[in-house]
Amino acid sequence: MLSHRVRRSLKFGGITPPSNKAATLRSRIMPMPLPARLLLPLQQYREQPAQPCVNVGDRVLKYQLIARGTGASGLNLHAPSSGTITAIDLEVDFFIKGRTQTAIELQTDGEDSALPLSGMEEIEAFEAEQIITCVEEAGVCGMGGAGFPSATKLRACLNQEMEYLLINAAECEPYISCDEALLRERASTVVRGAEVIQRACQARQVKIVIESDKADAIAALREALQASTITLCLVSPRYPAGEERQLLRAATGIEISREQLPTDVNCLVFNAGTAAAIYAAVIEGRPCISRIVSLSGAPLQTPKNFEALIGTPISHLLALCGIDERVHVDTFIGGSMMGMYLPATSLPICKTTNSVVATDNVQFPLPDNELACIRCGYCADACPENLLPQQLLQFSRSRAFEQATDHGLDDCIECGACAYVCPSKIPLVHYYRAAKEEIAAETANKRQGEQRKQRFQYWQYRRKLQQEARQQERADTGKTASLAETNAEEPFSREKARADIAAAVARVKQKREKKD
Amino acid sequence: MQFQPRSTSQVMLMVVLATIPAIAINTWFFGIGTLLNIFLAIAVGMAVEASSLSIRKLPVAENLRDNSLLVSALLLGIAMPPGSPWWLTTLGVLFAIGIGKHAFGGLGQNIFNPAMAGYLFLLLAFPLRMTAWHLPEAAIDPAAGISPLSLGSLGQSLRFLYAGESVVDGMAMATPLIESKLASQSAVLEAIDTDLNIFARTAETGWELTNWAYLFGGLFLLFIGIISWHIPVAVIATVLLTSLLFYSPGGASVVGTPYLHLFGSATMIGAFFIATDPVTAATSKPARILYGIIIGVCIYAIRVWGSYLDSIAIAVLFGNFCAPILDHYVRPRIFGRGRTRATHSASGSG
Repeated sequence: MLSHRVRRSLKFGGITPPSNKAATLRSRIMPMPLPARLLLPLQQYREQPAQPCVNVGDRVLKYQLIARGTGASGLNLHAPSSGTITAIDLEVDFFIKGRTQTAIELQTDGEDSALPLSGMEEIEAFEAEQIITCVEEAGVCGMGGAGFPSATKLRACLNQEMEYLLINAAECEPYISCDEALLRERASTVVRGAEVIQRACQARQVKIVIESDKADAIAALREALQASTITLCLVSPRYPAGEERQLLRAATGIEISREQLPTDVNCLVFNAGTAAAIYAAVIEGRPCISRIVSLSGAPLQTPKNFEALIGTPISHLLALCGIDERVHVDTFIGGSMMGMYLPATSLPICKTTNSVVATDNVQFPLPDNELACIRCGYCADACPENLLPQQLLQFSRSRAFEQATDHGLDDCIECGACAYVCPSKIPLVHYYRAAKEEIAAETANKRQGEQRKQRFQYWQYRRKLQQEARQQERADTGKTASLAETNAEEPFSREKARADIAAAVARVKQKREKKD
Repeated sequence: MQFQPRSTSQVMLMVVLATIPAIAINTWFFGIGTLLNIFLAIAVGMAVEASSLSIRKLPVAENLRDNSLLVSALLLGIAMPPGSPWWLTTLGVLFAIGIGKHAFGGLGQNIFNPAMAGYLFLLLAFPLRMTAWHLPEAAIDPAAGISPLSLGSLGQSLRFLYAGESVVDGMAMATPLIESKLASQSAVLEAIDTDLNIFARTAETGWELTNWAYLFGGLFLLFIGIISWHIPVAVIATVLLTSLLFYSPGGASVVGTPYLHLFGSATMIGAFFIATDPVTAATSKPARILYGIIIGVCIYAIRVWGSYLDSIAIAVLFGNFCAPILDHYVRPRIFGRGRTRATHSASGSG
């Protein structure tokens, strides 16, 4: 059943910046020529880094498992192409977390010889647990940006009655068009992927949520959904409509707070790219080794969407788009609202890299000096969480962290809509991030202080027990305490100390007189 | 909600532009007195702002460019009675900008509306001068057929600026509201019954049209998204409702019709331009509505039962006074909180 009504994507606020996606959507998704070297990070999510199961010098084939995920939310890593492993503990300074991470280096041999694949043709014959195991083996994670292991997510709701499964195709941030391109050309993979997930989580209703201005993608989806029970849900194009909780409210009307998860209200949200990856993993048996990346920016002669292998150095992709280094200033991954600047373009594409933008001085000029906040309230109008950014700014700047938390600083999703509309050009999100970090540091300090206090109190208690035990022992055996013990037990008294010293001095004098 | 991201200087400039039609109409009817006050206020204001900024060791040119001074000086200039001597306006601007704005910390830090703080200072220090509205003779005598913009009238207005000239009592003129407050009942009824004729240069139609012009200027600002509707609608609705509540035609005391309260004095400029000053108003939308209601009640109460001729300045300053406590207690509901939603499983799973 198809829906024509466009729902309001955001209850509060939101902005409509220019989308800058037309350049990358002019052409089809391009396959990528093999790079000479692939850099594969082992730490793909917050958990423990994956354990390599190959050695230096090994020859690997495409799709071969090269690292096994550890811990409850580990992610498997597979070789994106055939070649030789030249390093398994390369220390690379990644942009994630800002500290060095271990990576596997793979020198490709150009042959791209692959392991044979075998997937489930008919998913109806398989149980949910088997599907989830398949997803886990393939190392699929959330492609929308967070990178949470999909198998863990599915496994956590095995015992629940899922009401809604939502496929997030609302790509709201400017410059990112990978999901739109995917839907335009391969809508059937997303739809079938959604069906696989539905089988795994037993959701009663499945909706694909997309912004109403993505005409080509909607047309392709409508065609792919013709013989399906999955419905299409159109939402108004605003930023940040694609945020998980906002999407949930737009499609189902359920609002959850920042600490809650969609699973708390029996809903599951998956990115469209993740759905396609799950389709590939389960139906075709293909592990997660590539993703669609949007390359855009004024310094590029031909911005486009690439089907890029995980581990491809970003410089390789930029060169393929014909980058003009004379105007190229900087590079960031993600969109222009929440993107992160890269320290170097030699860094690789990860499973969560959806877009790379090369900046120049014209499209991304140096920011103006910030003026004083005039409390105009445009930021509060724009905030999708209905916070009061002008108050949060005041409290963050004056370090009144308790008041900031009271006004909902933790609810800020750092989308940047407030900073976008600020007439005084104040970089609001930076202030909030700094305040959040300080609050986290203070909380950690306090917790440590509490622990130290408890340890000291326990030490005092133990000491008291020891003393009591010793006294008991002495009472039993009739042994007198040593001088040190007696002195240690009594409270310090200046008179007694003086008396002791006087007595000792007198004894010494006596001895000397005796000698003489 | 804005249509596009703007800078502070653009926002302030739009506010200035929105007042131009009303100032033009005022000049057409009453001569250049108000214009002179505005120019003087802006000129002195620039000097005071520049010197305050340099005393505070801030970059002068950059901060002058944000046009915030333009709005404050403009509003104070409009509020000053035409025909005021130059030193009165200068003193007012000095207090408004130097103390009302910079002593508190400059742009964005002041608690009280600078223009209204300056106006109230002058009102308390020079009550007689601030309630004397001196218009050129031609504005008061429409039958004479001389335009307030004629050379003779222009010269008269300029001469008022230099306090040496002694003013004949008969050249003073008041707003319709002031007249209704001090006049007898029958005279008020007679005045209200006359039809609107924009070519008849009576003080009544002049004031009326000026207020309509401020209304249109305010609606323009609303339409392009510079101000939000909460404060103006709250102020105007409250004034309208309270004046409706207490209006008793034929009653012993003359409180004025609702139309008089809305269009006979400074309510429109107060609602759209003065109360909406973002720095001193309340922040969140529900708090803004309450803020507007407080100001509306004060406007009506002080006007009718107080001893001041018009109360916008005092009402707005009282609103500014209440804004921090409104901000503290009145907060909007954060997305995802405050509404209970049945959850089927315990939160924090997974």
